[in-house]
Amino acid sequence: MFKKASIFLLIAGLGMASCSKDPINDLSTEESLVYITNHDKAANFKQYKTFSIVDSVVVVENNRSGTALTDIDKDVLTRIITKMQALGYTYVSPKAKPDVGINVTWITNTYLNVVSQPLNSYYGGYWGGGFGYGYPNYYSYYETAESYWLITLLDFKNPNTVDKTFNVIWDAQVRGAGIGNRQYVDTMIDSVFGQSEYLKIN
Amino acid sequence: MKKIIIAALFLAGFLPAYAQQQEAPKLYTLPSPFERYTHYLATARVMGAVPLGSFADSYIDKSSFRNASISIEWVLRNSPFSIGGEIGSTYFQKRIPRTLYQNGEGTISAVQTRTLSQYPVELFGNYHFLRKTSMIQPYVQVSGGISILDNVLYYGTLSSQHQKIAPKYGIGLGSKFLFKKDGAVGVDVRVKYDGTAYKHDYIEKGVSSVNGSIGLFYRWW
Repeated sequence: MFKKASIFLLIAGLGMASCSKDPINDLSTEESLVYITNHDKAANFKQYKTFSIVDSVVVVENNRSGTALTDIDKDVLTRIITKMQALGYTYVSPKAKPDVGINVTWITNTYLNVVSQPLNSYYGGYWGGGFGYGYPNYYSYYETAESYWLITLLDFKNPNTVDKTFNVIWDAQVRGAGIGNRQYVDTMIDSVFGQSEYLKIN
Repeated sequence: MKKIIIAALFLAGFLPAYAQQQEAPKLYTLPSPFERYTHYLATARVMGAVPLGSFADSYIDKSSFRNASISIEWVLRNSPFSIGGEIGSTYFQKRIPRTLYQNGEGTISAVQTRTLSQYPVELFGNYHFLRKTSMIQPYVQVSGGISILDNVLYYGTLSSQHQKIAPKYGIGLGSKFLFKKDGAVGVDVRVKYDGTAYKHDYIEKGVSSVNGSIGLFYRWW
């Protein structure tokens, strides 16, 4: 009788355990990529003819920024130029007063998380006597980081003269696994332009 | 534990006497203890579930086999009813290939993974059509309670999660099949409709599903 009862528990246990499966661990790298694009609905892209692009990628890490030009950065910049030309824009030097400017940024946000040790003062039960442990403040830190590409299209033709800003008329974010892999550069750049048909002027 | 030992001792005295029933005076022709006493019955079930209605149309229409539950009930004496409680775990998941989603001004291109986990905690009442001594015991069931929902929608690897406790109810039809007459162990087969009053994002008119389960039960008194 007890054997039968333990089979019950085993079956139930298996059923419960099977529910904790990670639902996205079977995603391929390509499938994990998320492309998010936004545009200024008031902007008429037909008025822009020429564009220029930054000569290196801006790297922003926790609000500190620098520039970089690694192999993958070159690939990204080159692919953007190719796509913009295909959409009908003319590539010019930044000195030639382009109508739009393109910024490419690699953003990493690192979050610092803190947990106190021990997790629970009731861990001190072993030595008995109703005493817990008098811990000093032990804390553990762990970091989580998230990176993504941000491509922005700036309107140089109609600068906001009052507060001296350039309006962002389009931006694209690429997130997910594989964004730091050269193999996926063409897929990433083609996708963000592909889902933004309004950019086409030819 | 003690009760089982007492039951075993009782049966040890009871069975030999029963075997000699033909010659002996009919001292032990009492009805089954399961008929004489209010007794307990525990069931463990594994289930397959099919989403229905607008939940299937707008969120997940894929069947799921990752469901299980445990229930315990009191089978009332001199009554066709039993009442009890059931806790369970159900899980639905569906993958949508890469699609463009319009979100206000923005456009998102992503592979969606839609998931919905539910942990129902319910009270139920069963009405049995046949006597407790019958080896086959069909029943109808009405249940009500709460469901702890965990709705996680993934865009690629990015996730948005919504958790809520919502009311739920169910109507079921099933049958118990005892392995032997007056035995304590058997198989339970049930088909049940489950409805949960939950609305969020894609789920506009609640979560409904039909699930079929097979389980093992053990009863004691």
